[in-house]
Amino acid sequence: MKKLFTFLGLAAVMVLSLFLAVVTGDYGPWYFAWLVGTTMIVMIAAAGAVMFDKQDEELAKKGIRER
Amino acid sequence: MDMLINPTVVELSRAQFALTALYHFLFVPLTLGLSFILATMESVYVITGKPIYKEMTQFWGKLFGINFALGVATGLTMEFEFGTNWSMYSHFVGDIFGTPLAIEGLMAFFMESTFVGVMFFGWDRLSARAHLVVTYLVALGSNLSALWILIANGFMQDPRGGTFDPNTMRMQFSSFVDLIFNPDAQAKFVHTSIAGFVTGSMFVMAISAYYLLTNKRKDIALRSFRIATVFGAISTIGVITLGDALGYIDAHAQPTKLAAMEAIWTTDPHPVSAAWNLIAFPSRSEQKNYFEISIPYVLTPLLTHSEDTVIPGIIQLEQEAKPRIANGIKAMVALKAYNEDHGNTAALATFKKYENDMGYGFLAKEFAPDQDLAKVNASNLPSVLDKTAKATIPNVWVEFWSFRLMVAAGFFMLALFAFAAYYSLKNEIEKHPLLLKVALWSLPLPWVACEFGWITAENGRQPWTVYGWLPTFVSASSHSVGYMIFSLIGFTLLYSSFIAVELYLMFKYARLGPQEQHHHQPEPQTAGGGMAGQPAFAKPSLSPKH
Repeated sequence: MKKLFTFLGLAAVMVLSLFLAVVTGDYGPWYFAWLVGTTMIVMIAAAGAVMFDKQDEELAKKGIRER
Repeated sequence: MDMLINPTVVELSRAQFALTALYHFLFVPLTLGLSFILATMESVYVITGKPIYKEMTQFWGKLFGINFALGVATGLTMEFEFGTNWSMYSHFVGDIFGTPLAIEGLMAFFMESTFVGVMFFGWDRLSARAHLVVTYLVALGSNLSALWILIANGFMQDPRGGTFDPNTMRMQFSSFVDLIFNPDAQAKFVHTSIAGFVTGSMFVMAISAYYLLTNKRKDIALRSFRIATVFGAISTIGVITLGDALGYIDAHAQPTKLAAMEAIWTTDPHPVSAAWNLIAFPSRSEQKNYFEISIPYVLTPLLTHSEDTVIPGIIQLEQEAKPRIANGIKAMVALKAYNEDHGNTAALATFKKYENDMGYGFLAKEFAPDQDLAKVNASNLPSVLDKTAKATIPNVWVEFWSFRLMVAAGFFMLALFAFAAYYSLKNEIEKHPLLLKVALWSLPLPWVACEFGWITAENGRQPWTVYGWLPTFVSASSHSVGYMIFSLIGFTLLYSSFIAVELYLMFKYARLGPQEQHHHQPEPQTAGGGMAGQPAFAKPSLSPKH
């Protein structure tokens, strides 16, 4: 039952996202650009942090440093 | 509407609104940007489970909290200022302007403030994922709050979604959809929001640079620096391109703003070779630039994104305004006749014919004999037209230079973020102390850019509060000069104390920085992790006494 509710919840989020994308894409292209752009900026910045940890682990393996 | 308001009161009302708005906007952009940076840091925490990202979120969150509280406090007065100092404006467009303003208030004080409380005090009461959702809601709430005030501002810049009703003598809603999807509001929102992202990035980058230069918590500083520089580099590209888009939209909606922004006095009939003024010293009285450094072939593609669009100069725009002013005078005279006798259908028909130029008639009132448009006749009409036409142009000097200072700051920050992100991604940032010092001392730049950006936007809209419909000089309340001076001094003192408190607390906690932690928490069950049970502000890593 919990899985079903999770599935329904995520399906609702997906439908809402598609609805928002269609409406804002048609009537508010700049709002749509903000939604997509902000998501992208957050994801790339988060990826940068994950990359930092990976680089740090590699340096630690080489015995150079660990922060 | 027969008597004009004392011009000194109008100027003092403008000064007071400019002061409170510019003060308020010292706090807003950091809230807009830092909230999403916190969400980014917490996302990494939830994804990787590494406690250091939770510590980073909490540390930067504390600085966010200081700024947020003062931002809300300074914003409150502005909501009421529309009613107290701009009562004619509120009467004229309140039906339209009040709606986004009310939604903005609801967003700011209910959604945003509620979730801010949960974000600060919910670390030990929510799961990590639930807390992350709350942090995102804070970020979304603060930006949505900005969205609604910028929709309201968009209406002032390019009025859409409303029509004037001669029976009620005010503008009324015709389309809510037109109001919220107004291109000016859209472009302004994305430009302003992303400018906030740049501000948040600069804040985190500069303070992280300080920690790196002083060897303080390098683990947090290097990670914060990485997130801030990547976030900032992309955001700065965004804010510049979106600023260009906003300028493009404004070029159609407000040609006078564009001409003043670029100090274009005469129309160049050859758009391909038209020169763009890099530097100029404009003279309004002589309608020319005393000195200018211009680059040919740049103006037209830069402003119109084409090669063959002629950009009208200020002198041409003044001439083009004259027929609208003449029509506006007819509209205003007819409107007055209709108001005296609602059965006067001929007056209503005349008003309807010239309704779209009504604002220009309003504007002419200042220069009409005895400020009575009914006294404008064939002999004094040319003089009224000349003076009113000149009044349609904003202050060119202020517009030209505020725009350039904003753009210069933007491009400098782009270069800084690009270099900083490059060396951070190569993991070599510590080898470049000079760059770290530049990053630290560049901290005020995004605020400088934001403030000059608003001066460009609002000075460029003059002489209107609602572009083309309502002049500024009839929008104010009829207070006494003494009252305005008293309240202006009061606001200056109050807001200066807010700034002093903000700077004191920010410097105190930023200098203190996150404290050393020699223990590593296990994978947390709640967002509070190993420190569950303690209030967020009492955590050892954040205590100012350490």
